[in-house]
Amino acid sequence: MDLRYSPDDLAFRDATRRWFEANVPTTELKTLGERREWHRTLFDGGFVGMGWPREYGGQDARALRQAIVADEMARVNAPPTINGLGIGIVGPTIIHHGTEAQKQRYLKKILAADELWCQLYSEPNAGSDLASLRTRAEDKGDHFEVNGQKIWTSYGAISDWGLLLARTDTSVAKHRGISCFLINIHQPGVDVRPLKQVTGNQEFCEVFMTGARVEKSDLVGRLGQGWEIAQTTLSYERGGNSLARVTRYTSAFHELVKATRALRRAGRPLIDDPLVRAKLGRIYAELEVQRYAALRVLSALDKGEGPGAASSITKLSYSEFEKRYFELALEILGPYGQVTAGLPEQLSTRVSASSGHGETWAYAYLWSRAGTIYSGSSEIQKNVIGERVLGLPKETRADRVK
Amino acid sequence: MDFAFSGDQQLLKNAARAFLDERCTSAVVRGLWDDPRGESEAMWKDMAQLGWLGLSLPEAYGGSGLGMVETAILLDEMGRAAYPGPYLPTVLAAHAVDSAGTTEQKNRWLPAIATGGARATTAFVDADLAWDPQSTATRAEKVGAGWRLSGAKQFVAWAHVADVLLVPARTPDGVTLFLVEPAAAGLTMKPVTAIDMGTRWAALTLDGVTVGADAILGAPGNGERLVWELLRRAAVAAAAEMLGAARRCLDMSVGYAKVREQFGQPIGSFQAIRHKCAEMLLSVENSHAAVYYAAWALDAKAEDAALAASVAKSYVSEAARHVCGEAIQVHGGIGFTWEYDLHLYMKRAKALEPMYGDADWHREQILRLVPA
Repeated sequence: MDLRYSPDDLAFRDATRRWFEANVPTTELKTLGERREWHRTLFDGGFVGMGWPREYGGQDARALRQAIVADEMARVNAPPTINGLGIGIVGPTIIHHGTEAQKQRYLKKILAADELWCQLYSEPNAGSDLASLRTRAEDKGDHFEVNGQKIWTSYGAISDWGLLLARTDTSVAKHRGISCFLINIHQPGVDVRPLKQVTGNQEFCEVFMTGARVEKSDLVGRLGQGWEIAQTTLSYERGGNSLARVTRYTSAFHELVKATRALRRAGRPLIDDPLVRAKLGRIYAELEVQRYAALRVLSALDKGEGPGAASSITKLSYSEFEKRYFELALEILGPYGQVTAGLPEQLSTRVSASSGHGETWAYAYLWSRAGTIYSGSSEIQKNVIGERVLGLPKETRADRVK
Repeated sequence: MDFAFSGDQQLLKNAARAFLDERCTSAVVRGLWDDPRGESEAMWKDMAQLGWLGLSLPEAYGGSGLGMVETAILLDEMGRAAYPGPYLPTVLAAHAVDSAGTTEQKNRWLPAIATGGARATTAFVDADLAWDPQSTATRAEKVGAGWRLSGAKQFVAWAHVADVLLVPARTPDGVTLFLVEPAAAGLTMKPVTAIDMGTRWAALTLDGVTVGADAILGAPGNGERLVWELLRRAAVAAAAEMLGAARRCLDMSVGYAKVREQFGQPIGSFQAIRHKCAEMLLSVENSHAAVYYAAWALDAKAEDAALAASVAKSYVSEAARHVCGEAIQVHGGIGFTWEYDLHLYMKRAKALEPMYGDADWHREQILRLVPA
């Protein structure tokens, strides 16, 4: 057991830190063009798709190197890459399951953010029970015709392409009748409508597909292999960014302490109130525990040990913590915590939620409700932990073939 | 960067598990609960043979020169076994002697401790149960060449078997640690009976206890720094033992949920039980990360070592209590019986919860230590 970084990794971290201090944008990126430009700067710096194989434009970088970059980005509050889903999920899916032609056609443009991607998975009636999805893809001879509705599509409004799960066979068990496709969003049969969330923002969309076209060559893997492929893509979403997430939480904590020094109650600074101190101490302890746990996961990933089902523990842990964190923060800040605009300067903060979005306590608090729902709700994570980590018996389910 | 145990550390863990599984069964633990002394001389000698008592002492004094991570590995396993005996207070006091003692004091106590010939403990808190050394109320007055100690110490672990007690007292130079032997005139001990019979406490009264100048550990007035250092180690040590107890309760719960049937199926198939077990595992794994990070930080003299110790103690105190309590809930009625072993581990975790600073106390320390 040795938690020190090697001299090489320390040198890499220092070089990375210098690069970001020199290159991080000093003004907020407002337009898509500005965000794309920042992405290309990151790409040219060698910080995009680091974990991808060299032959597809990556660096085969170890998990620790990737975590160091994510962490340094969080430290300077750098804007994220613009094509997160393309790089984190779609690219790896094509690398693992795609044809050579698909790799040639799509991968470079994903890395360079020439084409932006979204994930077309969830449906209004297929949330936790994703395998019950109803969107159909019908073989029309020279192409597939897609009909159905998707929801909770992150970045749908700016995407060019989507990674689609659709039903191709209704005669077999629901998990086996799903296939995975690459679909062009820019066509008459695809209608993308922004979805306003409780935060007031519109990161998500609804996507309606009516007689939409998917080329035969854009089927990923085999017909009916979609569920299996989706299981592997979901797992790319868990565990890897946990160190950077904790760094964002830590920055927010220092802002919170600053605010409790500025606020006064009953004639003394809020930070001298023992009840407030107890809450702050509890938050910081939990936050540090998240960091230690992140280091533990990272050390396993760095040795090439996949976290497997145990990544559900990480996801459950940070998302539930994030809710408690911002609940306590808003308890401490009182109504100031709910202010969305015009907060006094000494209370204002560059708090970003785990998503890297948002600049207010109010936004972070509201966003924290999303974490225990997306990418498999807490209840689904607990099922996975119970069945696949602890080996508890599966429950009797009405839809399970006996 | 590697969070996993090294090969040697894993071997130590396996050896500890094997020894305690064989020699410290729940039947043995229950026997010692009923025993007036409360610990086994034979087991203590065997632990000395295995090198556990001198684990973190220098080789020159018969130790193995290992660190807090290895100590935590043993305590983790001891918590798992609800081991009854003075291991934690002895290695803590031994560390103090090693860290601050004179050559004579080290020669007198360290080889004896490493070979199983002596036990030791620390008497940190006075009547007000404040853990910060500034609150020390016990006084030491200079009398001739020596000192006279007066005061009362509470909840001193395993005092009745200790050959030497570490007693912080206030002198004109500031708080100072004294090595007091139990036969000293004016020292009386009153046993305290509590829920965990595998942890024995005593209340000490020091009524003008006279000791020589050589009873001062190190130099007069260095006690505050030393007590803080000891409290950090003690916090991590206690957290390690609570972690072991909690994991035992989790393992028993999962095992039981797989075989206990109600409504025609194993109760572990119900989400109400399965989700509880998943939450318990989350608490246990986070506690593991907290304990071993803090232990490593102490060994590595990391900048955040003090902070990590307080994080571990505050987090694990609550997590272990929660996990052990939920274990009883998962078991239902059988878990509430004296005959079933669950309460042995649940009570061990509970006994350590307020020791060496409770969760709230450590949260306050955290806030003082957070880099602003």
